[in-house]
Amino acid sequence: MRASASPVLVFLSPDKIKMAFALEFFLRRISQGVLIVLAVAFVIFTLLRIAPGDPTRIILGPMATPSAMEETAQRLGLRDPIPVQFLRYLGDIAKGDFGNSFIRGKQGGTTGGSQDAGSAAPVERAAVIELIARALPYTLLLAACGFLLACLVSIPLGILAGVRNRGWPQKTALYLSSFFVSLPNVWVGIVLIYLLSARTGWLPAIGYQHIGYVIIPAIVVAVELAPVMIRSISVAVAGNVQEPFYEIGQVRGLSARAMLFRHVLRNAAVPLLNSFGAQMIGMLLGGLFVVEYIFSFPGIGLLTINAVFQRDFPVIQTVAIFASTVLVFINIAVDFASTTIDRRLKF
Amino acid sequence: MAIASSSAGSFATPARGQSVNARILRLAWRSPEMKVATALFAALCLLTLFGPFIIDASATKISVADKFLPPVFMEGGRLPHFLGTDQLGRDLLLRSLIGLRNAFLIGIISVVLMFVLGCAIGIFSGYRGGWTDVVLMRITDIQMSIPVIILAITILGMSRPNPVTIIAVLVLSGWPIYARVARSVTLAERQKEYVRAARIIGASDLRIMLRHIAPSILPPIAFVAVLDVARMMIFEAIFGFIGIGIQPPTPTFGTIISGGTQYLLNAWWITIVPGCLLALALGSLNLMGGVLERSRNLILQGAA
Repeated sequence: MRASASPVLVFLSPDKIKMAFALEFFLRRISQGVLIVLAVAFVIFTLLRIAPGDPTRIILGPMATPSAMEETAQRLGLRDPIPVQFLRYLGDIAKGDFGNSFIRGKQGGTTGGSQDAGSAAPVERAAVIELIARALPYTLLLAACGFLLACLVSIPLGILAGVRNRGWPQKTALYLSSFFVSLPNVWVGIVLIYLLSARTGWLPAIGYQHIGYVIIPAIVVAVELAPVMIRSISVAVAGNVQEPFYEIGQVRGLSARAMLFRHVLRNAAVPLLNSFGAQMIGMLLGGLFVVEYIFSFPGIGLLTINAVFQRDFPVIQTVAIFASTVLVFINIAVDFASTTIDRRLKF
Repeated sequence: MAIASSSAGSFATPARGQSVNARILRLAWRSPEMKVATALFAALCLLTLFGPFIIDASATKISVADKFLPPVFMEGGRLPHFLGTDQLGRDLLLRSLIGLRNAFLIGIISVVLMFVLGCAIGIFSGYRGGWTDVVLMRITDIQMSIPVIILAITILGMSRPNPVTIIAVLVLSGWPIYARVARSVTLAERQKEYVRAARIIGASDLRIMLRHIAPSILPPIAFVAVLDVARMMIFEAIFGFIGIGIQPPTPTFGTIISGGTQYLLNAWWITIVPGCLLALALGSLNLMGGVLERSRNLILQGAA
């Protein structure tokens, strides 16, 4: 906590002071977070519009006349100055409207390209928020399964390697994480498709029809996450095992197991939370995008990658805003959780 | 925002700066893993450099008669196509080696650039403090809140990807972490005697940053940057796979792997074999980086 509390707080009870600090923390961090997300939105918004590639060409198809393209561009507001477009976009978002896809129809299929200019009215297009709502459960399912699988491998191995800093557990952890981290996820995906699906027919692989379709993609996600988790867990645990309290506790008659589970893991949780927040979520997100693309898994990643190829600005913008919001808020949550686990840290 | 990094914290005492870095290297070199990894890395570098001159085949010339040849150790394989050929009859070993060279180049160049850019900004930010520091760190916050993959597919998917834009995207997404680490070390370093002494004898800020702070804090960060080279190489493969990497006919791992997926059942080697080569290269880099990092932590903690 701050060295000098504000004078008002002096008159409050300790619990209230704690709450006031928590409130101050959240207000400050959330306002910073909103600014960050706004800046990210502006960067992506501008990038999309200054990059080559005209969305009207894809909306109307290769046969469209220049005048029809110009008309569509004007109707979509793409010819206005970028700051004007951005403010209008923000205004719409404030009303809860994230816009409609340029390309995708209400039924989920991709339209565009083939029809004439007259039928390309934006009202027929799917709302971006609906597209995302439809894709999000798949992404969450994949993320959860991948993360659980990674935990199954890395938590025992990480703890073991951390407690015995020399000898075989430490070597195994080093080799295994160096091995996993050296496997490019695109390649692992293809190898697993070949071994578990194409060759043997054990598991389904492409698309999504039932829960079985999530297994191979989840393994690929887990292979990507495991090395980072093993490493951060073993480093965090090792740091605490070296501290004097570990040996003192044992001298005072606590078993090594009790020390480990009651004290070491609690202290190790803070650095772990930090690395899980910043690093893991970014990695998980990147991994999910790529894995969904490899397996044609109908989540947010596939939606976004297709949107980029189709110049579907509203979809890309919304995904970028959501993704950075998630990153920012997880970081806030992690910082807050660290301070409640370890009171020595400042808000 | 709390960015956990094992690299943060106070580093070597400057008076022994040289010797600490040398000790880290010496300790790392003592481990057998380091020797194996270095030898493997050197061998792969030599292969990518000289392989194309030795192998009597073409990486881009289409030859229908030679398509789908398996590697020589399998039935039906024949020389000079040591690792077989792809769906267009191009030599896979040669294509993989050129792909590896491109991946090495993109990985190394992008990490060097993000290291230089990030550390320069970080040292400047930490040394200056005040508003400069606040503004620069807010920029890193913003940059780190854009997921790499979204930034990459937005920029590369929209423009015509080429090596320069690919490196630019990687540098853009990678510099903030270096800036943060360099800043946090500089904050501690700025208080030390030798910096105050340098200031008292009239050294300029630029000189202090370049000649005094940078040499003492950068090597420990650089040791870990080896790991990032491997990460950037994976990104390069991902970009190629999605179709936003270096464009054909130049061979890259991503395009080789994605091109072979359609023929997985009949010609698995097109995707599997080049991937093994890439995994070997990444493994050597990661092992080197891992050993260097462990040695650095041991030395800085005073355990060895």
